[in-house]
Amino acid sequence: MQKHKVKQTLKIVSAAVALGLTMQGAAYAGSGPGYEDPNNWPQFHRTYNAWHFSPLSQITKANVKKLKVAWIHQPGNITMGQQSFPIVIDGVLYYISANNNVWAVDAATGKTIWHYETKLDPVANEVFYKAASRGVTVGRGKVFVGTLDGRFLALDQKTGKEVWSTQLTDMKKEFGALFSAPPQLAGNVLFGGTTGGDQPIIGKIFAVDADTGKRVWTMEIPKNDPKSWPSEKARSEGGGTAWWPGTYDPTTDTIYIGTSNAAPDYYPDERKGDNLYTATLLALNPKDGSIKWHRQEVPHDAWDYDSVYETLLIPINGKDTIVHLNKNGFVYVMDKDNGKLQNVWQYTENQNFTSGIDPKTGEIHNPNYPEVGKQKLFCPNLLGTRSWNPGAYNPNTKLWYSTGMEVCNTVTGAKQEKVETINGLALGLSEITLVDPPGKKGDGWLGAFDPATGKVKWKIRFDLPPISAVLTTETGLVFMGDFRGSVHAYDGDNGKELWNFNTGSGIRGGIVSYAVNGKQYIVVPSGLGSHVPGFLSGKFPEIKTLPGGSSIIAFTLE
Amino acid sequence: MEPAKDPADATQAATKPAPLPTEAPFDLTDPEHIALGKKRFNAYCAAYCHGNEGSGGKTPAFKGRTDMTQAMLFKVITEGRVGSDVMPSWHAFTEEKRWELVAYIMDLGRQPANK
Repeated sequence: MQKHKVKQTLKIVSAAVALGLTMQGAAYAGSGPGYEDPNNWPQFHRTYNAWHFSPLSQITKANVKKLKVAWIHQPGNITMGQQSFPIVIDGVLYYISANNNVWAVDAATGKTIWHYETKLDPVANEVFYKAASRGVTVGRGKVFVGTLDGRFLALDQKTGKEVWSTQLTDMKKEFGALFSAPPQLAGNVLFGGTTGGDQPIIGKIFAVDADTGKRVWTMEIPKNDPKSWPSEKARSEGGGTAWWPGTYDPTTDTIYIGTSNAAPDYYPDERKGDNLYTATLLALNPKDGSIKWHRQEVPHDAWDYDSVYETLLIPINGKDTIVHLNKNGFVYVMDKDNGKLQNVWQYTENQNFTSGIDPKTGEIHNPNYPEVGKQKLFCPNLLGTRSWNPGAYNPNTKLWYSTGMEVCNTVTGAKQEKVETINGLALGLSEITLVDPPGKKGDGWLGAFDPATGKVKWKIRFDLPPISAVLTTETGLVFMGDFRGSVHAYDGDNGKELWNFNTGSGIRGGIVSYAVNGKQYIVVPSGLGSHVPGFLSGKFPEIKTLPGGSSIIAFTLE
Repeated sequence: MEPAKDPADATQAATKPAPLPTEAPFDLTDPEHIALGKKRFNAYCAAYCHGNEGSGGKTPAFKGRTDMTQAMLFKVITEGRVGSDVMPSWHAFTEEKRWELVAYIMDLGRQPANK
């Protein structure tokens, strides 16, 4: 149904252009991938190519300073902040707040249409990743949720009533394996993995029938292969979850989804081998979960360098090409049909876990491994060169805008002892301390990169590393939020700030744009949360003083 | 009309847990217990949350703290805490292990605050 609507819209646009009509209201100019369904934000990254790009053009560099608050929606629960990536379809905005509270809101007025409070198993209070909720998926007349007690859940899109619920994990046996990110649709298949990567479990990707909730397939991420894992014990405690949403490319019927680090994180001694399929980008067949190809970015990971971030599909030399950032601070550019590397470029300014990565083979030269009982410095730190907040690609400037964090950690490796509690992690360390990069002061940035080569067009420094997603629009604007709660609009050509607004609490989630009744809106989730602020406060004590919160704030022109 | 009773209230009353102990069963300044608490703190509490020597988290840094009592620490470790941030409950650790964590955190409190 959605596809049909897209086609219809494109036809209307084409007809208007052919007749030389001037588009009114929230008009847009382009066509092709990234321009589908321009008025909506129908999926996590808006389009399957993960651009975080809106084709709407009513808000421009000239008038952005006239943005004013149109409405604010407050869910009333602020635990772990507001981490969601709102979805907007035909004038209704869907989002999630702490503890899986799901909301449907009138996107023109902010009025609540329905609210569903997920009844969670009390075990959800005991786990390490409690409360964090990062989004919903909407399609096939339903709103889909990955729950904090290990289920996929479907609600009726119009009423918010439960349609089906399927338990997928055993929380007590699997160290609180739960879903904090929304499962994604690949046709009639709904797929996703559990949060973490640091628990002593076999991480899995689950797929169910989106209409019935019936299980379709389950993929075990630690590969059942003695060449990858020296023992079944190592494999069964190897971690490797897929905790961030994958994407579905309908043109090739392929799921792209990345996997986490291997566990125990900093104690790799008892898991000799490449530890497939951890720290890997997977291309899967949605029908049965079979692997079309894989690219392991960090074989035998020992630094908590997950491969879970967004899979960008960007035209490079005339062909859609995967551009994929790893937590290790390198970007892998590869063929989308077979994962063959075209380039690997350094994204972070500070790294010392390798003397370099081969841009043709991906080999990590001279890996600097942790050692038991010895304190060593590693850059980037375990939070990564960037957190999970995605960047944004603009097809007009041909630049990729994304944030970074220049912070290292010292780690003293330790033999991993049996994890004693459901909320424990297998980190394999006896000490970890966030520190400045050698000779520098730790900070963060927003950068504009050539996605193929890493050439920097511009960078803006932030004394507290930004952890919000980035949005870019047809008119060359770049929106992002900072730790203290200000949302900024920049000129995508040169990084000049054009507008800002203080939302009152730090920005962590996904900034999106949509149009309803001919007006373009920018929506900002405000509310500092997730484990990142808490852990970073050891390095940046000011964070302890920053308020939490949770609100969805919509801006439009006067 | 009589308001409906929440069945959870009845269950809670029937299974009301015993009050939490307010005093440690051993000397909290004992170096051996402090060392065991430190080891467990580093393995379970430091990464992603409280940081090295409790410098992180949304709570004030532990070093130099004079406001922490043993009863309060034991209660928070046992029950967890929910505010704008979260701390899960650690009741799955034995009481002795929780008191060892208390011993380590109070030892940090006796050390000078980081500048």
